[in-house]
Amino acid sequence: MSFMLVGILSALIGGVIVALLPEESQKLRRGIVLATCLLSALSVWQVAATIFSKTSPLNTLEWGIWQFRADPLALSYALIAGTLWVLTAIYSYGYMPQDPRQRSFYAFFLLSMGITLGIAFAGNLLVLYIFYELLTFSTYPLVIHRRSEEALRAGKKYIIYSLVGAGALLVAIVATGFMAGSLSFGTGAILDQTATSGKTVWLLILFVIGFGVKAALMPLHRWLPQAMVAPTPVSALLHAVAVVNAGVFGLLRVVYSVFGPDLLTKLGVRPYLLVLASFTVLAGSIVALRQDVLKKRLAYSTISQLSYMLVGAFTLSSFGLSGAIFHMLNHSIIKITLFFCAGAIEHNTGKTRVSELAGLERTLPWTFALFGIASLGMVGMLPVSAFWSKYYLMKAGLSSGNWPLLLVFIISGILNACYFFPIVIQGFLGTGPIRSTEGNKETYLMLVPCALLVVFALVLGVYPNLAWSYLVDGVVGSFF
Amino acid sequence: MIQENLPVLLVVTLLFTAYLLPIFTKRRPRIIELLVVTVECLILGGTLYLAGLIARQGRAPIIYPAGGWPAPWGIELSVGSLSILFLLMIAGVGLPVAIFATDGITWQLRSRQRVAWFFTLYLLLAAALAGLAVTNDLFNVYVFVEVATISCCALVAAKDDPLAIKAAFRYLLLATVGSGFIFAGIGLIYLVTGNLDMTFAFTELSQRAYTYPHVVRLAISFFVIGFGTKAALFPLHLWLPDAHSAALTPASAILSGLAVKGYIIALAKILYIIVGPALLQALSIDRILLLMGMVAIVAGSLLALAQDELKRRLAYSTVAQVGYIFLGLGLMNTTGLAGALFYAASHAIIKACLFLAAGAIISRTGKERVSQMAGVGREMPITMGIFTICSFALMGLPLLSGFIGKWNLLRGSIQAGSFLASLVIILGSLLCAGYLLPVIRTAYFVPAGTTTTKETSFLQISSMLILTVFVIVLGIAPGPLWNLAWQAARDLLGG
Repeated sequence: MSFMLVGILSALIGGVIVALLPEESQKLRRGIVLATCLLSALSVWQVAATIFSKTSPLNTLEWGIWQFRADPLALSYALIAGTLWVLTAIYSYGYMPQDPRQRSFYAFFLLSMGITLGIAFAGNLLVLYIFYELLTFSTYPLVIHRRSEEALRAGKKYIIYSLVGAGALLVAIVATGFMAGSLSFGTGAILDQTATSGKTVWLLILFVIGFGVKAALMPLHRWLPQAMVAPTPVSALLHAVAVVNAGVFGLLRVVYSVFGPDLLTKLGVRPYLLVLASFTVLAGSIVALRQDVLKKRLAYSTISQLSYMLVGAFTLSSFGLSGAIFHMLNHSIIKITLFFCAGAIEHNTGKTRVSELAGLERTLPWTFALFGIASLGMVGMLPVSAFWSKYYLMKAGLSSGNWPLLLVFIISGILNACYFFPIVIQGFLGTGPIRSTEGNKETYLMLVPCALLVVFALVLGVYPNLAWSYLVDGVVGSFF
Repeated sequence: MIQENLPVLLVVTLLFTAYLLPIFTKRRPRIIELLVVTVECLILGGTLYLAGLIARQGRAPIIYPAGGWPAPWGIELSVGSLSILFLLMIAGVGLPVAIFATDGITWQLRSRQRVAWFFTLYLLLAAALAGLAVTNDLFNVYVFVEVATISCCALVAAKDDPLAIKAAFRYLLLATVGSGFIFAGIGLIYLVTGNLDMTFAFTELSQRAYTYPHVVRLAISFFVIGFGTKAALFPLHLWLPDAHSAALTPASAILSGLAVKGYIIALAKILYIIVGPALLQALSIDRILLLMGMVAIVAGSLLALAQDELKRRLAYSTVAQVGYIFLGLGLMNTTGLAGALFYAASHAIIKACLFLAAGAIISRTGKERVSQMAGVGREMPITMGIFTICSFALMGLPLLSGFIGKWNLLRGSIQAGSFLASLVIILGSLLCAGYLLPVIRTAYFVPAGTTTTKETSFLQISSMLILTVFVIVLGIAPGPLWNLAWQAARDLLGG
């Protein structure tokens, strides 16, 4: 039995089991959630081991229309999602032990994990679509978890945006099947490389709309800041890692597995795509400056950072793809840490706005420390790993002859500093209570995952080759 | 002997039992209910047997001359894949709805006698629809259409309620006008071709059509208007919201689920068998159908959005979904037509189940409006769960039967070169989400006070569960039914 399926099914079955357990059995539920996440994540690692050991760089499974495929690109996404899911589960034990609705939360939490892995391992466009559409519905109950007016409104916006995107995607997929005769991902591109008509451009536009909603490409991004009303584990994992990376992953599949860099270059769409993505990079950062609610600031930062990856992908160069993949990894690690810290601040002090954070560094020293190091990463400074992804993205800009991209990244980096560093600095200002309130078990559960992630980011920053040769070279090798 | 005469026996059994039921008026309703359920099971069995027969002879239809008199002098029945598909729909939806109806119908109709009459009408409708499924004769179509219309109107009026009677009267009026159009159309075809048997009429028509182009156009228009009125094609749908929302729950389920489809399938048979794809395209009828379908989808969905009463919302949804089927009829390729037929079958099951669930909720909680639905998710979790799954299926979510129909309609649209049609299909799905998701959201996620309402009875839940299981199974393993629809489309288009 292929470990791909073990990964997907164990999470789905785990979700169903948790849904059936009564609300009161918290300990049992926690145990099952953690066990399921571990089982699922370890299955993904097992698949990764086979793929990256170069014995068989590809693993496929077929049953009628249900095709699954584990290639380096799929694994980059699956590894990130799977591993971070485990850490988020641990974090959530610290963040929400008193929540009254944990049964539905954890049920959909696990279901979403299975569906995310389904997206990663999808072997053809139809399977990808099915899981993509299902992800919207499995994450909706998580977004509206708090059941407030604001949450319900955010959920409604989320569904509307996602369904419109999925609709465009479905038409695109049907049209692709018609034009190319097949929907399966292969080593080359699906579409015939000589199909350079206007119809192909429309097809691309539909795909970009379809995946662009989840990838928070402007102007399809408006659901994301609203979705921050969800509990922090949801905002962190889903809306900084799983769901949004699904959009980026989808676009990577479109660019490389459906169209292929050659066809896109021939169609002459590269400049337009780059402008679209660059705009989001800059606009996201600019809007982030003006946000006082911490999670919203992080949301707009996510919007901006996702387009870093898209810029990389849209340069249609191997440097760009390298930067995009590596940044997917780095951004996920760092952004989830930032969200976890924000959630810890909120849990311990009830404060959600940047302006309220004055002097809290004394109360939450570790939280601020971890937040600070992670912020360095967002700005792209050594020794945090994100420096390398930014470096390669800038290299991609130069090598493909798009030097304005360099400017985009530099400006965005400065803007990032402008809205991240003040948060940390705020913590040192003013007078707050001196005693640290971080000693309790809940905070421990929340901060240990952060610490692990930050350490990993630092190690990766110093030795990028740890992930580079496997992930990045593997992906680039499969497409160029 | 039974096996040879099975095609006609299916219709006759239903008719016979329908006329038998009033004998039991004075007795306990249980006998009546038992008879109905038995008959439906028999029909299901008979259909499956016929399906096996057809499959064995390479999917060619069984031609059965009634009374042994061959066409064109006698009435001929032709049981092909399309007939089997529709018969399966009739039995597959009719049986669970009948089971649902047996629970509480005596109370709802307020008298034992009326129970017999209700089920008589129910079986008459089933008989008429079965007749429409198998017949190959034009006038036979008219007879069954009339029987079906009267049964439908009477079913609406069965609820002794001023609103229902008013709706039934309006339905009768408009439906009779529709019947008039159909009759005129039949007359015109007879005039031009001298034949009432569909296959023979086709042969004659393909020669004569260019001599009498206007007569043929007129006849087709009459058919579309006539059948369109009965199938609630926008803008001929005006009777449906009142009728389907005012009727008893099982009646609404059957009417929205089966009756409306019966007329569409009859129209499809007439258009494809008698007029033929070539002539339809030459006269641009296919584009008209496509356009009317698209308009119906958008208009019906928008109107549904505006309704607060749950049953009215579902009724307008039927108007929209009928548009999908007409859209598929206008695509003129096998994928699109098969998609339309599969969509029709899928919608029959889904809509019947939605009406049953809505009826159960309304009768148990007294809440008729969507805005009142808060807390239903807690009060009636199983029913609401069924409603949710069927709603998702109607929206065309993958892994459920609606997606298969939607996917193939999209493929058919792209193949026919109509990008607009594919966009309208997606728009229809989005609007469907727009008018169904709020119901689910309000039921589950809007906080409400505590009540003592409990879940519906076992019988009602079982019947709804049967339908829901069909929806899920057809979504995951559509193979057999899809092959049936595909073959039916091939038969219709192959000429």
